[in-house]
Amino acid sequence: MRNFKSWTGLAATLALALTVASCSVQTGDAEFFGSVKPPAGQVMRYVSGSEPESLDPQMSTGQPEGRLYLALYEGLTEYHPVTSEPIPAIAERWEANADSSEFIFYLRRNARWSNGDPITAHDFVYTLRRGLAPELASRSAYMAYYIKYAQAYNEGGVFVRDPRTGDFLLEKDVPTAEGEAKKSDPASETSAAGENPAFDTPFHRFIYSPTRLVLPGTEKERAALFKSSPKLAELVVGKEFVPVRAEDIGVEAIDDYTLRITLTQSAPFFVGVLPHQFFRVVPRQAIERYGEAWTKPQNIITSGPFILQAHRPYNEIVLVKNPYYWDAARVRLEKLIFYPLEDITTMMNLYKSGQLDATYNHTVPTGWIDFIRPLKDYMDAPEVAIGYVQINTTRPPMNDVRVRRAFSLAIDRQALAKYQRVVKPLTAFTPEGIFPNYPQPKGADFNPELARKLLAEAGYRDAAGNYDPRKFPADQVEYLYNTSDRNKEVAEFLQAQWKQNLGITVSLRNMEWRTFLDRRSKLDYKGFARGGWVGDYIDPFTFLGLFYSKGGDNGTGWWDPKYVRMLDQANHTLDPQRRYALLAQAEKYLLDAQPVIPLFTNASNWMKKPYVKGLYPNPMTMHAWKFVYIEHDPAKWDRGMPSTEIVAEK
Amino acid sequence: MLRFIIRRLIITVPMVLVVISLTWGLIRLAPGNFYSGEKALPPAIERNIREKYGLDRPWYQQYWRMLSNVVRGDFGISLRYQGQSVNQILAQTLPVSATLGILAYLLALVVGITTGTLAALKQNSRLDYLSMALAMLGISMPNFVLGPILVLIFSLTLYWLPPARWGGVPSWNLVLPVLTLSAVYMAYIARLTRAGMLEVLRSDYIRTARAKGLSERAVIIRHAMRGGLLPVVSFTGPALAFLVSGTVVVERIFALPGLGNYFVNASLNRDEPLIIGIVAFTSIMIMLLNLAVDVAYGLIDPRIRY
Repeated sequence: MRNFKSWTGLAATLALALTVASCSVQTGDAEFFGSVKPPAGQVMRYVSGSEPESLDPQMSTGQPEGRLYLALYEGLTEYHPVTSEPIPAIAERWEANADSSEFIFYLRRNARWSNGDPITAHDFVYTLRRGLAPELASRSAYMAYYIKYAQAYNEGGVFVRDPRTGDFLLEKDVPTAEGEAKKSDPASETSAAGENPAFDTPFHRFIYSPTRLVLPGTEKERAALFKSSPKLAELVVGKEFVPVRAEDIGVEAIDDYTLRITLTQSAPFFVGVLPHQFFRVVPRQAIERYGEAWTKPQNIITSGPFILQAHRPYNEIVLVKNPYYWDAARVRLEKLIFYPLEDITTMMNLYKSGQLDATYNHTVPTGWIDFIRPLKDYMDAPEVAIGYVQINTTRPPMNDVRVRRAFSLAIDRQALAKYQRVVKPLTAFTPEGIFPNYPQPKGADFNPELARKLLAEAGYRDAAGNYDPRKFPADQVEYLYNTSDRNKEVAEFLQAQWKQNLGITVSLRNMEWRTFLDRRSKLDYKGFARGGWVGDYIDPFTFLGLFYSKGGDNGTGWWDPKYVRMLDQANHTLDPQRRYALLAQAEKYLLDAQPVIPLFTNASNWMKKPYVKGLYPNPMTMHAWKFVYIEHDPAKWDRGMPSTEIVAEK
Repeated sequence: MLRFIIRRLIITVPMVLVVISLTWGLIRLAPGNFYSGEKALPPAIERNIREKYGLDRPWYQQYWRMLSNVVRGDFGISLRYQGQSVNQILAQTLPVSATLGILAYLLALVVGITTGTLAALKQNSRLDYLSMALAMLGISMPNFVLGPILVLIFSLTLYWLPPARWGGVPSWNLVLPVLTLSAVYMAYIARLTRAGMLEVLRSDYIRTARAKGLSERAVIIRHAMRGGLLPVVSFTGPALAFLVSGTVVVERIFALPGLGNYFVNASLNRDEPLIIGIVAFTSIMIMLLNLAVDVAYGLIDPRIRY
């Protein structure tokens, strides 16, 4: 016992040290989180997220890469820094035909590559043909499937030609199977874009003619198709199959600075799709010369406001201002550094100690929110992203829409949002507060009584006709999610709600991310699976379109030709407000069928030092870096969310 | 001795091949693939990808291709990081992990052996109790707890040291990760040294040495330590292998561009060539270092002969 004193002394010292440490974290700088000393000069340090898969904008689909591509490459249009809606970039202006199925882009003449060469319409033609080439195997190629014959080319499809006459078999020559949504042919039915007679080219006459029939490229797939459709088999007898070529897709350089894109369907939102990384222009000469190594710092040529100076994997990616960029006068940052970090606590530590100037979305840990939210460098805004539950509609008991509705009605979304702290409750399948003037429909909200009634109707009742949870096959239902603290919180909340309001215990099952994706996409799950979607562009269709194709890529097994027709009809509608109304009707139809249970609209939830200007809490947290700069005069700092002065400027 | 070494080296080859084959099989069994995402890909795009990476060929062809690559010492191209070869990734990340590991190793050895020896010599003193209590703390506190505590104190409160990131060698960025990494090893080594030394100090040959009239210094350093450190040697061999081949948790907390970070992500991303490359490399390293330990045994302990 003689050492007792020194032990208590040591323990007390340790305890004191920890208390001091934690106290200073609690109080800190009253106004901001940690250091507010700006870096010298115009240098911005940001986080990209996980190590980028590739610096080739057409190769990866992730947000971590997207953040970098915005600095390195530019497309025809760019995201507005505040609203994320499209603004002119390399295209100075554009016009669409009457039903938005054809677009003509007029490129600015001073757009240059980082080696000084001009960027022309031919570069865009090259970019799109390359991105869609099957050999490139781009994962985001589907973004360009709106373009005529793009999907056919990417899938390695073939046209059918009569060897004697040289005529191609057309889509309309083939009777469609019953129940299938009939593919429309807008480009051949309405007027072309642009009045200029010089725009009438041989290519345009081809692309504008009625759509040719496209069949699968392999013998095996064609055989399967002919088996199911003998009429089609008859039609192709004696015909030859001609592979769809890159030159066949609906993209044409009318001259060096005029680009025409012809679509396979009406897509009024198409210009908003174009800032997506897949459409950002890539340098033909570097790619052809260096192959996959073209993105190395010594080889790369960029089209955006910055060029790549150094790339040290898992460490840093250093970009410097591109002097040849057409809008270089506006670019104030001399250097933009991305740290590829994934751990959000590490990010927050770097931010607090002043080694990071801003973080990306969802980086403030849930447990810190109450402390961080009152600070003036906390940024938040509704996000073009939603959280929901997917239902496997192919297996009983969830193949009954009444049961699906009951489970949706049994969730108190207000309570969930409160529990989650930053999200907003949602009953629809499009995020709330993102699409101005969109008459978003309301889905079923919290109503446990109705839920129980529906389950009783569905057959889960006792002799007296009252709802009886014991009759429900609870072992046929479970909630599948990918392992993460946040997903677990939601899962446990849903479990409690269903238990409380329906008396049904749904077991929870978590899985590693890729195992989860595999199970979900193969519909290899019972009952429920976690779902979430981040919009690719600012239009409700980026959400509603998840249920557009039959391929089952929505992971619920639900597909309805009527729903597809409703979406088609909406997209053929010229008046934007009328189109929104039709989209809302389709959304309502989807909500009534309930293949999903909407839960919440995400919030962006990130940090920005007061001296960083031009960085706004926008719905995608995708920042056009040319607007960003470091303000060294504290009088001009942002205290709170930045005002949107840039809107007036544009 | 030489025959022993040669024999062991020869055995290493089939062992590594077995390890690689098992790993390859396990990757195949894992559901999911490197290209999957929140939205399932259209089948045609999936087919394009599978063709591009040769995943559409029969399994034995893929296995053979992997094996012949490994035998040639070329692990192929990463599936995840486009255009980066696995060899290139290993070459970039190994120096980071190795620097971190070796520094932590040296620190652990120096501090651990010194403290352990002093504690043994002054058994039951305050110094002994204090150092052993700290050692116990070091062993029981996992590095994902220790790291953040150190960051909290030295980076976020005192603003003395950077909280994360790689800053090259030498740099202040190294201090916290090296300290975090070495803590457990330091503690283990201290305890092992103390235990070993206590045992040896009571043995007959030490009494003989003292009886011969040798100075206390000579007794401790030349005679006692040789025997007392044997348990430390068998502990530190594999420890070095683990330290050098990447330390997942510490690299993650401090955002360091080492092997560990790549390894975890490669597994999560189903990046087959990269996983195979890192596993092969790590297993070779562990086998070689184990061999080195056995050799060191023979050199230190005169009772062991091969």
